[in-house]
Amino acid sequence: MATDERSDVLVIGAGASGAAVAWRLATAGIGVVCLEQGDWVDARAYPHWQADWELHRHTDWSAEPNVRRLPQDYPVNEQASAISPLMYNAVGGSTIHWSAHFPRFRPSDFRVKSLDGVADDWPIDYATLEPYFDLNDRMMGIAGIVGDPAYPPKSPRQTPPIPLDTLGRTIVGGFEQLGWHWWPSDSAILTRDYDGRRACVNCGPCDLGCPIGAKASTDITYWPKALAAGARLVTRARVREITLGPDGLADGAVYYDRDGRERAQKARAVVLAANGIGTPRLLLNSRSPRFPDGLANRSGLVGRNLMFHPYAMARGLFERPLGGHRGPIGCSIISQEFYETDLARGFVRGYSFQVARGLSPIASANGGSVGDRVPWGRAHRRAYDERFDRTITVAVIGEDLPELHNRVELDPSLTDGNGIPVPRVSYRLSENSRRMLDHGIARAGEALRAAGAREVASNPLLRAGGWHLMGTARMGRDPATSVVDADGRCHDVPNLYIVDGSVMVTCAGVNPTSTIQAVALHVADGMIRRRA
Amino acid sequence: MTPAGLGARRDELAAVLDTLIPAADGFPESGGLALDHVLAIASASNQIGALLARALDAIDEATRAGGTRGFAERSAAEREELLRRLERSHPEAFEALVRHTYDGFYSHPATIARLGLEPGPVQPRGHRIEPAPAPDVARVAARGPIYRRA
Repeated sequence: MATDERSDVLVIGAGASGAAVAWRLATAGIGVVCLEQGDWVDARAYPHWQADWELHRHTDWSAEPNVRRLPQDYPVNEQASAISPLMYNAVGGSTIHWSAHFPRFRPSDFRVKSLDGVADDWPIDYATLEPYFDLNDRMMGIAGIVGDPAYPPKSPRQTPPIPLDTLGRTIVGGFEQLGWHWWPSDSAILTRDYDGRRACVNCGPCDLGCPIGAKASTDITYWPKALAAGARLVTRARVREITLGPDGLADGAVYYDRDGRERAQKARAVVLAANGIGTPRLLLNSRSPRFPDGLANRSGLVGRNLMFHPYAMARGLFERPLGGHRGPIGCSIISQEFYETDLARGFVRGYSFQVARGLSPIASANGGSVGDRVPWGRAHRRAYDERFDRTITVAVIGEDLPELHNRVELDPSLTDGNGIPVPRVSYRLSENSRRMLDHGIARAGEALRAAGAREVASNPLLRAGGWHLMGTARMGRDPATSVVDADGRCHDVPNLYIVDGSVMVTCAGVNPTSTIQAVALHVADGMIRRRA
Repeated sequence: MTPAGLGARRDELAAVLDTLIPAADGFPESGGLALDHVLAIASASNQIGALLARALDAIDEATRAGGTRGFAERSAAEREELLRRLERSHPEAFEALVRHTYDGFYSHPATIARLGLEPGPVQPRGHRIEPAPAPDVARVAARGPIYRRA
């Protein structure tokens, strides 16, 4: 087997967290090699340059690896899961596909056990992460406006907020009438040129990537700077297992290169950044006599406590055109009126509303995230025309609580293109989450009606909504009840770090990428301090 | 019936598509706009091609059982009734038929233009949003902190 030159640090995965940690380490003079199973995405390859761009959403640019089935993807057995995991394998990872809605976790999200008696507290807090939130905001470039009373004061945003436009102003009217919280979303999408990147031209489908670099994906934010600082990035390099030295420490990884040849990359420390499903998969595939149940898995918690954010969708139908095709598809306003625990609501913890833009032509026909297809036949034309450009969709993003039975295991028979066992995901929605989503659907309906909607339709649980993969190698102080410590170091293998969503103890009621990246930068700084 | 043979049944398929989305209010029927897309999808995927062929076979069979007139010669109400039966008896094949018909119709430049949008790629042109004053967040901000200190 060919063995590459030993590096100080091997990072596995070049997405949101892997890019951040690689950049931070490289700029501190630490040698970094990153292995990424995907490729760079050529800006000219995005479907936005083609007239049939929308058709690609459900084929080669689908967010579902089981639909996309590109050579760099691995299948996921999701038959036992109520939610389909979504991910993208490329330099930039799932930030290629994300909508770039960029809220942070709130202070209470790190103290769930202390405040509400459920789940566990994190071993770090908001104050610890605050400088990393700010640093990450500068690296990614955030559009927004300060002063949101749902958060402690934030540093100035890099550009003004995404325009509300007709659709946003309409739904704001509903929230205003009800006296509820709302705020222009923090969005990792530039509304002015910034840091060598161009401003958004409001083309719409950010979920298919951003061909002009206005949306922050780490292939255009962190990676150019990491490479300039000396990091080395190897693409189409699929890691099979992490290897151990005789001292029980991680000493690198075995991977398959783009030609399918087996290679070894040696390193003094290893950082896992392969997402909340890919990371436990890799640990479970890295069995050895010392770790017969999977690497760093003496707690038995690797793969356990999988959290998605369960999404429910409410869609209002309005009388007038809303211009919903204009502007970033997932970013308009956020509401955290029902975020903190109020047990009178019938559930613990809470949720956010994320208001999206309108439905594109095909999505309008097929019902978008609500899934209620426009009828065919002679009733079609009127039904379609009543819907097209007259809808506002409110997503209810609920805080999932960690549960042992929701988990990632290895499938006993299914393998990827390199013969590596693939993940099998088991997930069922808890009663608490169900009550939370039902509450959210009802309240979203109120907001939509207050904004003027004449009808509201809903989807109680979005199946193709597993954007956020969390909790499967949780952080904690006790090696018996967690996989990594407060510095992201595996309790069982102290030179093995995890920086992706796997380490999240709880998942809050907001999109997690901002917090995942802040944690990654925090972990990187710990590595730098220890090296010094 | 193999997927490769679907092209030989263009007229039959077009009549089905026309029934799914009939012409109305200045929009043409879908046979003219979506047929090439549906055939291309059927040609690219054996699975989808087989599903669509199965749908056509079932329609053909039901049509013959109901008299001598072909599907395209039936009234709109009769054609819809035949398709409703197919929807019940072959849900998977019908689902594929509708989905790809909608995909083809609502991605066609003529449809996009009729919807009032500019056909073609969304880049580099993007969309213009009229400048507007900064959002008025005064009421919300005046509430003061709504987060729990921890």
